[in-house]
Amino acid sequence: MRCGMGIEARQVNELFINIDPIQAGGKLTADAMKAVIAYGDGYSVCDNCRKPNRLDYISKPPIAAFHKDLADWLNMDAVRTVPGARRGFQAVAQTYVGKGDPVLLTSLSHYTEFLAVEESGGIAREIPADERKMITADAAAEKIEDIRRETGKVPVLAFIDHVDYQYGNMHDIRAIAKVTQQYDIPILYNGAYTVGILPVDGKTLGVDFVVGSGHKSMAAPAPSGVLAATAERAAEVFRTTSIVGDVTNRKFGIKEPEMMGCTLMGATLVGMMASFPHVKERVKHFDRELENNRRVVDALLSIGGTQLLSEYPRKHTMTRVDTTGSFDTVAETHKKRGYYLSSALEEKGITGVIPGATKVWKFNTYGTTRVQAGYLADAFTAIARENGLSVKE
Amino acid sequence: MVFQATYTLTDLRVLLRETAPRHEFSPDQKAEIQRLLENLERQVASLKQEMLR
Repeated sequence: MRCGMGIEARQVNELFINIDPIQAGGKLTADAMKAVIAYGDGYSVCDNCRKPNRLDYISKPPIAAFHKDLADWLNMDAVRTVPGARRGFQAVAQTYVGKGDPVLLTSLSHYTEFLAVEESGGIAREIPADERKMITADAAAEKIEDIRRETGKVPVLAFIDHVDYQYGNMHDIRAIAKVTQQYDIPILYNGAYTVGILPVDGKTLGVDFVVGSGHKSMAAPAPSGVLAATAERAAEVFRTTSIVGDVTNRKFGIKEPEMMGCTLMGATLVGMMASFPHVKERVKHFDRELENNRRVVDALLSIGGTQLLSEYPRKHTMTRVDTTGSFDTVAETHKKRGYYLSSALEEKGITGVIPGATKVWKFNTYGTTRVQAGYLADAFTAIARENGLSVKE
Repeated sequence: MVFQATYTLTDLRVLLRETAPRHEFSPDQKAEIQRLLENLERQVASLKQEMLR
């Protein structure tokens, strides 16, 4: 069935359990799907835009109230919606980073944080992860001191991922924030894998900014995200325009340069808004998600030769495994080579593992029901047995 | 009425997602499907009446 010329209707999540590591938290709620249907037209949320003519002031649909609720929920003072977490990184980097300024990242940082620093002319300085693939406060302090010794100045900004995209490990950002505060370095909490998945309290964490991803973790359409700030930092990153045209003498009201005026319009924004009550509720039940993840991880670890590369016990549902000693040994002789695993999973109605991957790969069980998690666990062990691998009972 | 019918189908779609890949429905889910399909039939009947009069 097609929904346009050459565009097949996508039924991935209706036909399969989707364990793609970046897709699990972005699956739409029913309310978001309904909102997208009603607000698909371009400027659909702007019907009732009145002075001062800015997106976050619109009261119908209740965009202004949503912004307030969102800031309260994150325990921050101000929030803007942005077209993806990366645009939040970009806005903050453009505000604080100048040419040649060192910026603190980590060896597990997402590439878009690097690009935000690059675009601003900054220098990327990574806090190295330890042998457990964890970023520690001690390592952060050591790196800041190294930079100070080398350059005579401290970093102008720090980007720290609470849960990193490589291992799904949870890093002690509160302790890291205590270190950056001592040096007066603004710190951005990258919650691409946490905001909308588990509770996030910006002020308790001691961060200046919270960035979240709508399409990754808030059951919202892409591209969507949030950038929240403390009152002090909001005045800087959400500063209003002062430019004046020399011929027309035009000014542009309270538009914000870092937001390029209005940000999310139409289906992305109302999709995020419609999911928000469900998202607020689901973060309270993250323990259920971890329990589902544990069932799948335990099943994988029962297959001889499989190793978990993420921290254990798991604190997040996005997980990295090494099956070089198990599934990959089959790939050497299987007629489908490395593609047999994703093929076998697909035959069982499971998708999201990179086709051809049998060595190191990631999956995410977020959003599965208990029944689906049990099905996933059984499917992995069944595929192992069907291919002659040992499975502990 | 167009939205109501579309939204009823959306609720059915979500049930398919929650039960993928086997789509084995519990008694409660079957009851919900029954209710949704009956609503849909009523909504389609209303659409026929309104749009084809």
